[in-house]
Amino acid sequence: MVNFALENAWLIPFLPFMAFVLIALVFKPLPKVSAFVAITCMLTSFVLAIQIGIGVFLDAERFIEEPLKHTFTWFSMSGLTIEMGTQIDPTSAMMLFVVTLVASLVQIYSLGYMHGDVGFSRFFAYLSLFAMSMLGLVIAPNLLQMFVFWELVGLCSYLLIGFWFFKYSAREAAKKAFITTRTGDFGLLLGLLLLQINFGTLDLVKLGEMIPNFTQYGLTASGLTVIAIILFLGPIGKSGQFPLHVWLPDAMEGPTPVSALIHAATMVVAGVYLVGRSLILFQTVPAAMTFVACIGAFTALFAATIAVTQVEMKKILAYSTVSQLGYMMLALGCGSLTASMFHLMTHAFFKALMFLGAGCVLHGMHNELNIWKYGGLKKYMPVTYWTFLIGCLAIAGIPPFAGFWSKDEILLVTYNMFAHGHQPIYLVLFIMAVITAGLTAFYMFRMFFICFHGELRDEHAHPHEAPFSMLIALFVLAALSIVGGLVGMPWLEHPFGYYVRLGHFEHEAPNYFIMFGSVIVACIGIFTAITIYLKKSISHEALAEKYKGIYTLLYNKYYIDEIYLWLIHNVLDGLGRFLWWVDITIVDGIVDGVGKSTQGLGSILRRAQTGKLQHYALVLFAGVVILVVIMAMTGTSSASSMLGGVR
Amino acid sequence: MDANYSLMAIEIATALLAIGVLIIGLLVPKEQRYGLGYLVTIGLTGIFFLTFAFYGTNTKLFGGMYIVDDFSIFFKQIFLAAGILVTLAATLYVKKIGANYGEFFVMMVFATLGMMVLSSAGDFITLYLGLETMTITFYILAGFKKGDSKSAEAGVKYLILGAMSSAVLLYGLSLIYGMTGTVIVQDVAALITAGGGMQPALIVGLVFLVAGFGFKISAVPFQMWSPDVYEGAPTPVTAFLAVGSKAAAFAALIRFFLIAFPDYQAEWKVLFAALAALTIIVGNLVAIPQTNIKRMLAYSSIAQAGYIMTGVVAADAAGIKGVAFYLMLYVFATVGAFTVVMNFSSNTGSDEIKDYAGLAQRSPLMAAVLLVCLLSMAGIPPLAGFAGKIFLFSSIVSQGYLWLVIVGLVMSMASVYYYLSVAKVMYMADPTDNTPIVVPVGAKATLLLTMGITVFLGVYPEPLSVLATIASKALFMIN
Amino acid sequence: MMGNIGLEHFLIFSGTLFCIGLFGALAKRNVIAILMGLEIMLNSVNINLVAFSRYATTGDLTGQVFAIFVVAVAAAEVAVGLALIVAIYRDRMSVNVEDFDWLKW
Repeated sequence: MVNFALENAWLIPFLPFMAFVLIALVFKPLPKVSAFVAITCMLTSFVLAIQIGIGVFLDAERFIEEPLKHTFTWFSMSGLTIEMGTQIDPTSAMMLFVVTLVASLVQIYSLGYMHGDVGFSRFFAYLSLFAMSMLGLVIAPNLLQMFVFWELVGLCSYLLIGFWFFKYSAREAAKKAFITTRTGDFGLLLGLLLLQINFGTLDLVKLGEMIPNFTQYGLTASGLTVIAIILFLGPIGKSGQFPLHVWLPDAMEGPTPVSALIHAATMVVAGVYLVGRSLILFQTVPAAMTFVACIGAFTALFAATIAVTQVEMKKILAYSTVSQLGYMMLALGCGSLTASMFHLMTHAFFKALMFLGAGCVLHGMHNELNIWKYGGLKKYMPVTYWTFLIGCLAIAGIPPFAGFWSKDEILLVTYNMFAHGHQPIYLVLFIMAVITAGLTAFYMFRMFFICFHGELRDEHAHPHEAPFSMLIALFVLAALSIVGGLVGMPWLEHPFGYYVRLGHFEHEAPNYFIMFGSVIVACIGIFTAITIYLKKSISHEALAEKYKGIYTLLYNKYYIDEIYLWLIHNVLDGLGRFLWWVDITIVDGIVDGVGKSTQGLGSILRRAQTGKLQHYALVLFAGVVILVVIMAMTGTSSASSMLGGVR
Repeated sequence: MDANYSLMAIEIATALLAIGVLIIGLLVPKEQRYGLGYLVTIGLTGIFFLTFAFYGTNTKLFGGMYIVDDFSIFFKQIFLAAGILVTLAATLYVKKIGANYGEFFVMMVFATLGMMVLSSAGDFITLYLGLETMTITFYILAGFKKGDSKSAEAGVKYLILGAMSSAVLLYGLSLIYGMTGTVIVQDVAALITAGGGMQPALIVGLVFLVAGFGFKISAVPFQMWSPDVYEGAPTPVTAFLAVGSKAAAFAALIRFFLIAFPDYQAEWKVLFAALAALTIIVGNLVAIPQTNIKRMLAYSSIAQAGYIMTGVVAADAAGIKGVAFYLMLYVFATVGAFTVVMNFSSNTGSDEIKDYAGLAQRSPLMAAVLLVCLLSMAGIPPLAGFAGKIFLFSSIVSQGYLWLVIVGLVMSMASVYYYLSVAKVMYMADPTDNTPIVVPVGAKATLLLTMGITVFLGVYPEPLSVLATIASKALFMIN
Repeated sequence: MMGNIGLEHFLIFSGTLFCIGLFGALAKRNVIAILMGLEIMLNSVNINLVAFSRYATTGDLTGQVFAIFVVAVAAAEVAVGLALIVAIYRDRMSVNVEDFDWLKW
């Protein structure tokens, strides 16, 4: 079984794809069957992913040294061969596990959540397609395949965010997500082209060997830095990094299971994964790496501050996702594949848990969004309460929950870059990361207390617990949020970092200073939240009044959206209006002229077709005579010099 | 003289199938002949799979008169694929024609046989016989719809003009025979060199050959017959004519010019480059104002011939591979489009583009297939036509014919205009008549196959690309 | 006197014949006459082939064999042609090619 899975890893993305095709073509009128097909295929993929995980775990040395690759030629012509296939190594095996797990749970959860929706079958078809795209990306042995599936992921996110296309805001959010990420994708495509041109391949393993010796390929360090930064634009867009994060909170317009899928396991981590896969490129040029780290740390802090003031559960979770993705980027910017992938995994567990929990709350509160309308939900939905608490503890970084271990790892690598790498800027980034940790604990528990404690503020609401099919996912994810981080405990002989890594494995001694420090910071955050929102010793309204300026700034998300809108309205629109004028008067004139004249030319030429067969014969022979005359009289040399061609 | 007849098993089986179906058609009563169409489809499918056994044979028979190589096998697969899809789609249409049900399919098989002989021809006589076997059956097929004015006119026009082009081709062949003293294609090259190079009579012969083949592939200015014949002939015949006849003529043309006149490449390459450019331009331009969909497809198929000719201009393995690849995918796009047309006209009796209004509501499958096929012809990714055009154009860029590529690209863009105007009518306009259009089983199979393969080859062209490479290499091997 | 007649004469003769046939095919209005013109063109090819076989090669009969094939195929072509002409005559009640122009543009 393990061998079968390893040899046939292509089945993992293929099965959801098959589910998509089957639902689209056959089962669409039958919602129950559609869901069954989708979930069966997804669970089979999950089982295969587990098998692969076992295989990689048991024989780790081999897979770390050389990934297991199966490729076939997709497209070949002289000078260019493009391959497709699968690459199994610890990193991709871990990702396969996480993605199939979350996708399976989200699909089971959707059984209850989407129950009765008119687009039930369509929803499962899209979910399957989404899973397929993400798995195809994860398993890709080269950057081009990654790019193809990357775009598919973008397309699916467009379909899913705009799933309730009859809502104006959903359509707008879908468009925003697609256009914003496409902006970054342009950079990614350009970066890939530059890599292909300079190195002649996009194969991950080959690039890994070639890039450190980039001078042999006629590249300078600054040239490579430029390539790396251009390439990084794609992940900035996809993983919601500043300044292209704006689409992510709006993406909450999709059904909640989609938010869980997009934010926990699939779309947004694609950017992190891509940088992780091409980390050698960034490591080779330190400037690019520092750039990644700065963007990451800044995004982490920036998004965390916004999250403090938001009043919608899903919005808060969205900004917390942006913030956590910033952590992952920061880890990558410190050159640590281990820390970022570790945090990616634990984050997938607790963020999916919290999104699905938020879904239960929305389900129970009949889609009321404002958390100030909630309150005291602990009484009505105990399961959601306890699982959500676990998620909050995990993200806040309280031991022994999952988030503690991975966040600690990130703080550690950042600190080490300063302490052992002697790069002072990383001290700044480290401090930013620590502040973010405190803020994260604060805003998470702020939301938690407002929602679940106190008295229900909306008298008209009748909160109730979600159906069992939705709770299953919460149980599984809560369990993983508790124990999932233990695999990365620094006291283990072979911790997470032994398997998922780039370069040599070094057993690092646990840094108790950082460990306790981060816990203390988190506790400060939590206690602040308790003081303000649970015990209400300090009035949050008075606080907001006192720091009105800051509060408004944060509440309006630093006006980034407004700035973009202003830019779009004034600069882009102004430019657009000018270009529109140019387009209408000059370009259209030319195009219309060309169009008209081609049509006219066509109409004239067709008149030559008189229908008289002797005219046809005449044309035929005239053609023969003219060709003979040309060939014989002018000779061929002048003709060929006229028309080009190599003699 | 080597006479290993087992190497001709494909042709023998095809001939036997034709004769067998002819005899069965005489034996069974009229109302029971409707199974014959499927019998032919099954028979051709069997032969199609048989052809795979012949890859790698690469032998000459009868002292070079008949060549069994990967190149000819690949082309035979093109003919068979076209034959299978067309016969599968045509059963109901032919039934509506009425009389002579069995004979229609017999003629299709004989036409396929002619194409096979043409693609394997190693000397002038075999070439001529293959050509005429194919063409004469097409004369009959074009005029097959008894009592239909357009069909009869198409038959007569094709006959007169076809016979004329045959005469020209023959005159050219006779001149080359006279100048070199041989009819074996492979010996021609050496004998021209021995005879003192290119003489005026040979140049005339060469041009006559270009005209003769140009007529069959409908290259401008020898294309005048094709819109009329395509419009008038029964639609399955049009589909088969557009792909089979064209592919067979390309096979013979490539073998002739690349093997018999390799030392005069410069001369005929320029000729073909000019003709290709003209064909692409005229075909696309005249397609734009058309209102009848069969006529529009006829002009588009002229334009496609121009694109394919660019591969002949390259005249190397890459170019020939492009030609072979493109012809195969062209089979699926064309047969798919014509099957929609066929089914539409047998349901509504119309071939006018404006009557396709709202087809997407009346038959989503037909509208989808027509859209995919047309976009593939326009070369839009990720459909097969895109990969085909990449192979063709990349082969001539390296030979310095950038201008021809630019002509091809610009006119491809122009072609999107008339392809999409059909799509616009199908998807945007409201139908005047809301009755759904029924697609019979055979036609449905053809539609799904053509669409599936067109998309598949666009997404993953490698398998066909490998086969086409094998075919193109074989052509240069067997000297 | 016969000795003076060489390949050139045959070629000129065949070329002339080809042009006569072509003229007939292009200028005549009766479709049967056009068919006859085509036959003349094909026969000019036959003369070419036989002449080349006699003069340009040494005892090679291929050209003559080719000519016989051409004759046979031409006969088949004419048979089909006449059948099609009968079919269109029934439709248009005419054998004038000027009337065969319903398919155009």
